[in-house]
Amino acid sequence: MKKLIVVLMLYCSTSPVWATDAKLENIQVDTSVSAVERGVDTLMNGCHSCHSLKYIKYRDLDTFGIDKKKIEAWRGDQPLDAPLASLMSDDAAMQSFGKIPPDLSLITKAREGGASYVYSYLLGYYNTPEGMTSNHIFPETKMPDALGISGATEPAQRDELQGKAHDIVSFLAWAADPHEEERHRLGYYVIGYLVVLTLLLYIVKNQIWSRLK
Amino acid sequence: MKNRIIKWIDQRFPLTSFVKHELTGYPTPRNLSYWWNFGFLAGFVLMLQVATGIFLAMHYKADVALSFDSIQHIMRDVNYGWLLRFMHSTGASAFFLVIYIHMARTLYYGSYRAPRELMWWSGQGLLLLLMATAFMGYLLPWGQMSFWGATVITNLFRATPFIGEQVVIWLRGDYTVGDATLTRFFALHYLFPFLIIGAVVVHLVALHTVKSSNPSGIDLAAKDNIPFHPYFTIKDLYGLGIFLIVYCSFVFFLPNSLIEPANNIPANPMVTPNHIVPEWYFLPFYAILRSVPNMVGGVVAMGLSVMMFAFMPFLDRSCIPGGAQYRPVFRVQFYLFFLDMLVLGYIGYIPPTSQSILIGQVATLCYFGSFFLIPFISKAEERWLIKRGLPPDVEALIASEAREKSKLPQRRRREDIA
Repeated sequence: MKKLIVVLMLYCSTSPVWATDAKLENIQVDTSVSAVERGVDTLMNGCHSCHSLKYIKYRDLDTFGIDKKKIEAWRGDQPLDAPLASLMSDDAAMQSFGKIPPDLSLITKAREGGASYVYSYLLGYYNTPEGMTSNHIFPETKMPDALGISGATEPAQRDELQGKAHDIVSFLAWAADPHEEERHRLGYYVIGYLVVLTLLLYIVKNQIWSRLK
Repeated sequence: MKNRIIKWIDQRFPLTSFVKHELTGYPTPRNLSYWWNFGFLAGFVLMLQVATGIFLAMHYKADVALSFDSIQHIMRDVNYGWLLRFMHSTGASAFFLVIYIHMARTLYYGSYRAPRELMWWSGQGLLLLLMATAFMGYLLPWGQMSFWGATVITNLFRATPFIGEQVVIWLRGDYTVGDATLTRFFALHYLFPFLIIGAVVVHLVALHTVKSSNPSGIDLAAKDNIPFHPYFTIKDLYGLGIFLIVYCSFVFFLPNSLIEPANNIPANPMVTPNHIVPEWYFLPFYAILRSVPNMVGGVVAMGLSVMMFAFMPFLDRSCIPGGAQYRPVFRVQFYLFFLDMLVLGYIGYIPPTSQSILIGQVATLCYFGSFFLIPFISKAEERWLIKRGLPPDVEALIASEAREKSKLPQRRRREDIA
């Protein structure tokens, strides 16, 4: 009967993940301040011209520990509590791409495969024989090859772009779930406390039940 | 001083006698296994959902323009808002897990049989209320899956004879799922837990009248009953500790595994997600809905599949005690039914293909078949077991319990029907 519980647990823990057709490259994000800072730097100098991150404020970057000088440069005369709005107006985006580029605050949570999806997508561009650029992961994409991976042939160049994509995704993963580290830290204490408490309850239970003949 | 206060209260309110009757003197079979912990756990999760829900409601905004943002506000800006929200979203899954185990235990040990039919039926009512509450709560984050799930399910009410169209508009408050739907679902999502609490009181009153069933399936004599407090209060607390370890692992380390990725995209009536799936706890019933080609038929089959459990006291009329414990055929049936539920859940989860639809139809037939065949199989099994004789230890237990009861005529279990 105990096996049933295990089966049931596995069953519900795995159910929401459904793989996409293309193979994703599985990555571990690096939520250290340095990686996130490199990621946001790349993002603010590239992606940010079209994409917004409306749930992230400049103040959040400051609180997280991103270099203050960089934040000052990005926000210009906007207040510290302003969200990271995109530099492109919706109308201009509709004219250029035919759709409004998605907000990136939750993007790593909003795709099957999470951070690995976004990473594989960024590096998924390739040149078709007809001389067009397409994407393995999301062929219908309207976004141009922002990192330039489709034109990169040198291994050193590809490695550099992979590093860049990894940093961007690390930043996006932090942006989607800024309390993750705090949650994990607190989680270890909570589980530790519960294990000790449950052990004590087990001992008390055995002691009380031993009163029965 | 303490005694005087209690005396003062007792003259005005039956405090001492209530505690004695329902707790310190409440007779409980001593042979209950850990499967009997799940009723208490369900009550605990209910309280957890109510408590976290009330605090979430203080920060949530039921408005199509604001609700998605307000969830992000809770997740990012409210102090420990992420904890409240993940406790509540994980709590929904925990609630169904606990309730399904509670139901499986009842089915396995035959606890729905006389005199506990009313408990079983009040539990069936609780299940329906829980499903309705969970369904309405799922709309509130106003993500893509919230919107499309609510659209698909409210649309099913079109199957109502004659007034289907009107019923759908009445439920949504509009021609499509929109602001009117969101505000009414929020109001009802706040109301329903209190109806559940009321129904739980009915469930508990029935329990304290007929007392707990036990793994032997035989009503035990006084010597085999022990007071609920302290024996079962401590056993329930220990079980709660184990439950909380599992629950907190999900809350702190895997909370997003229980949230569909598509629900992190704000609801958009113009874009249908590739694949609309309900939460895991509705998947088997969803598979049954999809297995019937005709919409009305599918809705009837799905409704019936949830309600089938209520017929168990009529379907299973075997006089062999102890549910699946002493009934090998029933036990096999139980495990096959469990397996069938897993198959249905999987079929409900994957995008439909011609092959998966066929498997779903077979599994649906097995689902209803395992209920309708019970009367015939259990009668045949009963004849076979009576001819063969029950295992000697069971016979001995029945005999000794009967002796015990005639010797000490209803010392403790005065109201007991047995």
